Amino acid sequence: MSGATIDRRGLLGAGVAATIGIAGQAMAQGAVLAPGVSKADLAAALKAMRAVVGDAWVAGDAESLRPWSKSYTPDPTGRHAPVGAVAPDNVEQVQAILKIANQYRQPLWPVSTGKNMGYGSTTTAAPGQIILDLKRMNRILSVDTELCTALVEPGVTYQQMRDYLDEHNIPLWIDVPTVGPIVGPVGNTLDRGVGYTPYGEHFMVQCGMEVVMANGDILKTGMGSTKNPSAWQAFKWGYGPYLDGIFTQSNFGVVTKMGLWLMPAPPVYKPLVVRHKKMEDVARITDAMRPLRIAGIVPNVVLMMGAAYQLAMFHRRGEVTTKPAQVSDEEIAQFAAQHDLGMWNTYIALYGTPAQVAESERIIRGAFAAIDGDVMTQEQMKDNPWFHHHATLMRGGLSLEEVGLARWKGAGGGLAWFAPVAPAKGSETQGQIDLAKQILARHGFDYTAAFAVGMRELHHIIALLYDKSDPAEEKRADDCYRELVTGFGDRGWCSYRTGVHAMDLVAAQYGDTNRAVNAAIKQALDPNHILAPGKSGIA
Amino acid sequence: MRRWMLMALALAAPASAQTGQSLGQTLAQRSPAKTYASICAYCHGHNVGPIILGRKLPVEYIQAMVRAGRNGMPAMRPTEISPAELDALAVWISKAPKDTKEHGQ
Repeated sequence: MSGATIDRRGLLGAGVAATIGIAGQAMAQGAVLAPGVSKADLAAALKAMRAVVGDAWVAGDAESLRPWSKSYTPDPTGRHAPVGAVAPDNVEQVQAILKIANQYRQPLWPVSTGKNMGYGSTTTAAPGQIILDLKRMNRILSVDTELCTALVEPGVTYQQMRDYLDEHNIPLWIDVPTVGPIVGPVGNTLDRGVGYTPYGEHFMVQCGMEVVMANGDILKTGMGSTKNPSAWQAFKWGYGPYLDGIFTQSNFGVVTKMGLWLMPAPPVYKPLVVRHKKMEDVARITDAMRPLRIAGIVPNVVLMMGAAYQLAMFHRRGEVTTKPAQVSDEEIAQFAAQHDLGMWNTYIALYGTPAQVAESERIIRGAFAAIDGDVMTQEQMKDNPWFHHHATLMRGGLSLEEVGLARWKGAGGGLAWFAPVAPAKGSETQGQIDLAKQILARHGFDYTAAFAVGMRELHHIIALLYDKSDPAEEKRADDCYRELVTGFGDRGWCSYRTGVHAMDLVAAQYGDTNRAVNAAIKQALDPNHILAPGKSGIA
Repeated sequence: MRRWMLMALALAAPASAQTGQSLGQTLAQRSPAKTYASICAYCHGHNVGPIILGRKLPVEYIQAMVRAGRNGMPAMRPTEISPAELDALAVWISKAPKDTKEHGQ
């Protein structure tokens, strides 16, 4: 399978997949089964799983599967819906479920909190899979207030973490992605997601994992398998090849515990926004930001938020334009100015003692004064909702305000993130914006985007917003996303992460040898391919 | 300073707003007020979703919406909001008076 593209028509039409019947079946109607799995296999697997977790925690019919089938990503042919769901309470149950899956060759799609919104939520990359829903495993196993570390299960949400720390008066911060309350550290870290404090690169602050392998073995990475694993959450690397990375964005094992580092609450927290008026300012913002990030003067993951993305959070498209064609920069600029926003709104924050923060602010103000940026404080921005949102995120605060993006194009709730990566150089920006606008306009969509500046890299975060209640628009969104992946891929701008609808296509941008190595690891660790075939393009 | 702020917040929070989660234990059934605050209230009455308190929405309608997640609303699985939590939450939302602190559409 290495190097080959999974062809949906081939899967659906060439007889490799059976279709479940309709009447009298306690399963999803019309669902496509995994290759080589019969109706009887699926039914027997679900029955055996009921014996492990109890009837209440297995779903196998369309009605009970409904909450696992909801997704914001385009799925015009319905190939990403799961055929079942099973929710274990503990590691022993996970092992028992994997044994059943191996017996019937029934693939499982593990999810942690299952709220990877705009990346697929609890839908699957390939048809016929049972969701292995780990949300019930929501134990906070340890919090070390001296080392500032925690060990958690996959179902723990950031809300739970925040509640635990507050209820126990522990002055540690968490670092959240944009939908913090309903997602958690394990799932977000395993998808190599980011947040917006100095601990925003989540995989960098991950430390130690417990992984149930496809054969049921339990691997503890790093220091976790030593006779006294007291350094499990203190030292990432252990000895020998570093294994944690192969369990991120992969399907090589089921992560059931993960360690992470937590940031001590700083004495002073000062959020700032730098506003620029013109679209083309993005290049010089990037060039001004790069040395500040590399030197650590700006310590957090920086978001350069385009005005259209900002407006889409709290406003609907009809307020900004009446035209069906791509909204223009002029329309966006006018509406943004009325709402105290620049065309680019760059959010940064300072953390430390009063003297540290003051000195960093002095340097930052100098750097942005040189490129005509307005550096604004909390006091100046007052109750501006966008400033409030980002000031919340940059202290690890909880918010779901970005869910509002899903309403930009109407009620339908369609959202797919396209996030190609480039080096953090101004010269990399304008070409990407021009290309994105061209492709989006061709399919009738707006350019609603931001850039994030990491330690050396630039993420272009494009929200493809569409009306999912309109089948024709959902199809256009799917086509548009594919053209974005290949159009950017041809220029070497490839995604750091993608949704279930495009995993194979994104993997193809990284070349055949990459895919062959991943396929070889997969074959060695999961010879029956029961764990999430199709994840990251790995069958 | 931050420590004292956190302590003050923790002391000020009513018991129904706490999870009471201990290390090594799964999350116990939350009160409807806590479930609402931990999930629903981040959108509803907060610029994103419609206000749902004080509208006497039917209990069955609320339950169906939570599980199906119409339009932009995410669907909540029984592993996220347990069947028992949803029963209590739907009754609580249906009966709750309008919260004047909520805003938005």
